[in-house]
Amino acid sequence: MTEKNETLNKGRNDQWRVELRNSVPNKDRVALERVKMTEVEPHERIKSQTCEVNCGLTAEQAVIEARRCMDCVTPTCVEGCPVNIDIPRFVKQIEAGKFLDAAATLKEYSALPAVCGRVCPQEKQCEIKCFYTQKMKKDPVAIGYLERFAADYERLSGKIQIPRVEARNGIKVAAIGSGPSSLSFAGDMIKFGYDVTVFEALHEIGGVLKYGIPEFRLPNSVVDVELENLKEMGVNFEKNFVVGRTASFDDLKELGYKAFFVGSGAGLPNFMNIPGENLNGVMSSNEYLTRVNLMYANQSDSDTPVMLGKRVAVIGGGNTAMDAVRTSKRLGAERSIIIYRRSLEEMPARVEEIKHAMEEGIEFMNLANPVEYLPDATGRVAKARLQRMKLGEPDASGRRRPVPIDGDIVELDVDLVIVAIGVSPNPLIPACLPGLKMTRYGTIEVNEETMQSSVPEIFAGGDIVRGGATVILAMGDGRRAAASMHRYLQEKYQQK
Amino acid sequence: MNKIIEKHNLSEHVAKFVIEAPMIAKSRKPGNFDILRIGERGERIPLTIVDSDTEKGTITLIVQNVGVSSGKLCKLAAGDFITDLVGPLGKATHIHKAGTILALGGGVGIAPLFPIVKAFKQAGNRVLTVLAARSKDLIILEKEMREWSDEVLVMTDDGSSGRKGLVTEGAEEFIKREKVNECVAIGPAIMMKFCALTTKKYDIPTQVSLNTIMVDGTGMCGACRVTVNGETKFTCIDGPEFNAHQIDFDELLQRLRAYKNEEDQAKNKK
Amino acid sequence: MTSLKTKFFGLELANPLIVASSSLTASADKIKEFSDNGAGAIVLKSVFEEEIINEYNQVAQAKTSAHFEEFLDYFDYKIRDQVLSNYGRLIGEARKVSKVPVVASINCVSAGDWLQFASQVEDAGADAIELNLFVMPCDPMNTAENNRNFYLNAVREVAGRVKVPVTVKISSYFSDLAAVCNALAGEKISGMTLFNRFANPDIDIEKEALVEASPLSGEGEYLLPLRWVGILSPRLGCPIAASTGIHNAGQVIKMLLAGAHAVQMASVFYKQGASCLPKMLREIEEWMEKHDYESIADFRGRLSLTQSGNPAVYARAQYLSRFGGYSASDRK
Repeated sequence: MTEKNETLNKGRNDQWRVELRNSVPNKDRVALERVKMTEVEPHERIKSQTCEVNCGLTAEQAVIEARRCMDCVTPTCVEGCPVNIDIPRFVKQIEAGKFLDAAATLKEYSALPAVCGRVCPQEKQCEIKCFYTQKMKKDPVAIGYLERFAADYERLSGKIQIPRVEARNGIKVAAIGSGPSSLSFAGDMIKFGYDVTVFEALHEIGGVLKYGIPEFRLPNSVVDVELENLKEMGVNFEKNFVVGRTASFDDLKELGYKAFFVGSGAGLPNFMNIPGENLNGVMSSNEYLTRVNLMYANQSDSDTPVMLGKRVAVIGGGNTAMDAVRTSKRLGAERSIIIYRRSLEEMPARVEEIKHAMEEGIEFMNLANPVEYLPDATGRVAKARLQRMKLGEPDASGRRRPVPIDGDIVELDVDLVIVAIGVSPNPLIPACLPGLKMTRYGTIEVNEETMQSSVPEIFAGGDIVRGGATVILAMGDGRRAAASMHRYLQEKYQQK
Repeated sequence: MNKIIEKHNLSEHVAKFVIEAPMIAKSRKPGNFDILRIGERGERIPLTIVDSDTEKGTITLIVQNVGVSSGKLCKLAAGDFITDLVGPLGKATHIHKAGTILALGGGVGIAPLFPIVKAFKQAGNRVLTVLAARSKDLIILEKEMREWSDEVLVMTDDGSSGRKGLVTEGAEEFIKREKVNECVAIGPAIMMKFCALTTKKYDIPTQVSLNTIMVDGTGMCGACRVTVNGETKFTCIDGPEFNAHQIDFDELLQRLRAYKNEEDQAKNKK
Repeated sequence: MTSLKTKFFGLELANPLIVASSSLTASADKIKEFSDNGAGAIVLKSVFEEEIINEYNQVAQAKTSAHFEEFLDYFDYKIRDQVLSNYGRLIGEARKVSKVPVVASINCVSAGDWLQFASQVEDAGADAIELNLFVMPCDPMNTAENNRNFYLNAVREVAGRVKVPVTVKISSYFSDLAAVCNALAGEKISGMTLFNRFANPDIDIEKEALVEASPLSGEGEYLLPLRWVGILSPRLGCPIAASTGIHNAGQVIKMLLAGAHAVQMASVFYKQGASCLPKMLREIEEWMEKHDYESIADFRGRLSLTQSGNPAVYARAQYLSRFGGYSASDRK
């Protein structure tokens, strides 16, 4: 992509940057140790659902960490980023003390830098491509921490910069769902001058950022600031609006909407369909996290109940499973246990999350998989029967396939089971668009470059296209869709 | 925020609301429900849409005061606001001309039954309705039902109105008397279970509308899951109506008790 | 008046000719054809765990980045749901068009999944379940005991839980075949089918490549199940169906005489179609009339190990008639 090449070189030879590079010899930079993030101590943090575990870097820490970056001629970190953020530029801006400039740089590429800085799996994206990791076998520059620092600095400084918005062109577009892909899409479209409305089925905006990711990882206040920015830029938000039900696509077209971005996400919980899975006390991670994060069910002033458990088992090994199990600990479980079919090393969750979970006293039962749940006399789950597994040959994903050890079944006492084995695309929107081409697994088929679906005025991105994936991929989709919808609308309505 | 235009107390525990909701009124079909919240920390609760007026842009809901959230709603008056209201949700009833429809309504289940009775009658069916409840003041919408049914039989447990007896007895009376093509039964889960057992004896295709626990109502969480014909279905997107003879009612009844402890505690607190 | 009634799969069958699990029993049209032509029962194409693994691998190949690890982690469950859902639909369609029992067939390569497959298949309305058990014992470290336990666990898991009758279909690759069959028969099964026929590898010497040999059974392959039906049928407490290489009425009768309650056939239908069924049934009836039998029970097992009066024939390994030695008639 030419855009990327331009980015890679853009500004590297600006005077301030050349001076900055020359101000500290590389060998001194390399000698610095990677910064350690201050974390709230485990005993303290498990008392609260809303206490953020990572405290963020101080300005001094940020500057020193930024100094480690050598401003490579060919920054491989940028290749690792799904939205190709100009990482060296914002990192060098931090080193130079230009924190607000760093935030502005981030915002050129990412609508939600405070979110990404917190939830992106940098260790699998930018940081694994860092020169330090690749060539020196040393700890990479803490790009994620720096991104968070810059975004938080701007937020807390009160000097939030609202990006420039083009003059309104009078064309109405709609985004369905208010999660990261739609927010990203909306952020770009509003800049292009479109009249943007984001429709959300729930009573809160933010999608998985609000109902899914707990506040100890991503505070709702951080998300709200990003949402406020979008509102300031002119994005409209309609809550309690299920597109396809409250109004159909045709109704919206009659109201003047010319194109649509579907970012309705993968909000359909997957179950294993094993005996006992419908017992009271067995629920999806979506239900559990929604009750706690969206409905504040753990708080006494909320009307929504949540089942509390003393012995909680969470099935799964991804970030959602970690979120659920760590939440259960905070809600007073005596034992919070992860049950995962593969080994610890193969868990897809972020390394940091696993580390935090272990510090918090989460137990890990690896190479185990439930085959049945048994009730007590009242019909509430009381035991989980687990099949012990061993690792067999690798499958096509490269990871070794878990194989049951014949006859090796153990029973675990539980009173709450949370099934966090993945999500599927929510079928509501596809069901009301019969002309929309879908894949076998319920995702919308799109052109990978343009994110356009089989219906020309409908674009899509995020989990509804990919199955369950990451926030940053969703955001990248939203941006790509905005760029190509912009082209599509300009051609169709011949503006300018 | 949706404004309450009218409120009527149908009895001590049952209230009727007419609420401003133009978009919902326009898109709504019989059998749909919506989800409401009262207050910033309110619970999301499902309520069937009993009626709608597309000209005035309003919908009608009927609610029985049985817990914290329904209690809060019942305390509101005309001019107050519903904090959050979303709909129409769920699959609409399959209205068609079948011949003779037997409609069975139990207690507050009569409210969601009403739009279905009206629609079946409008589609040219003969409609025989049984309204049943514990006692007289829990029989609601009798006048409206009589307007849209060919015959209405009222049954009360204590005999304070109509005949003394259970809804299933009334149902069997109609069934034995004339050919019934299809049946719709709505009420407490246990009532629907027994209605289903009754109609199964006579091989009458029967639909029921389930009242499971819900959180989001859009298919996101699975709290409303129910086993139909051996498969797991979500009441909020696959239902709320299902073939009564395929439902695992025992599992449904069990799952309805899931939050009983928490609900009792909350009631005692407030 | 001859009756071809027999009992297998825990069910009364109109006749002993069962259409075995194959691609011929994978669609409602073909199933209807077999039913219309008078099959005794139909075993649907197997649900293979390998299907699920293969499909998973296809999806995994398309989603290789680290972003999709969480997505792929338990994705096989999703595929399994779809596969079982489709199978459930097939069962439903089959039951609508077939006048004869429809049996679901489950093939799993690992323990643990049996129960789930079996429950869902039962819910879909299968009249019985056939557990298609075959593990090629290639691993020199894997003992006979391990293999046997795998089979027994599977049978126990399933037969203990479902309400419909359960049968097993096994291969002959056991060093202690009689003992394994005895152990299986002691579980709650309604029948045993001997044998499953493995796909055979062959070599193309011109291309110097491994190929698959013809999937259809050849002449004389029926002799393998014939021996073991003869040996085991009087000993086991449970009914046996013979399978592999049965191509005509004569061979069906041989199996019945050896002690089988029924036979399962596939290759003959590939070659001749469902329309060969009525002819086979007729020929069996004609033979019964000629030999004065009114029902299958009248002659079943007459030439089994214990009833034939010549048990040594079944147990003998050497070709005495060819290589000298003497026959029973030689001894005076």
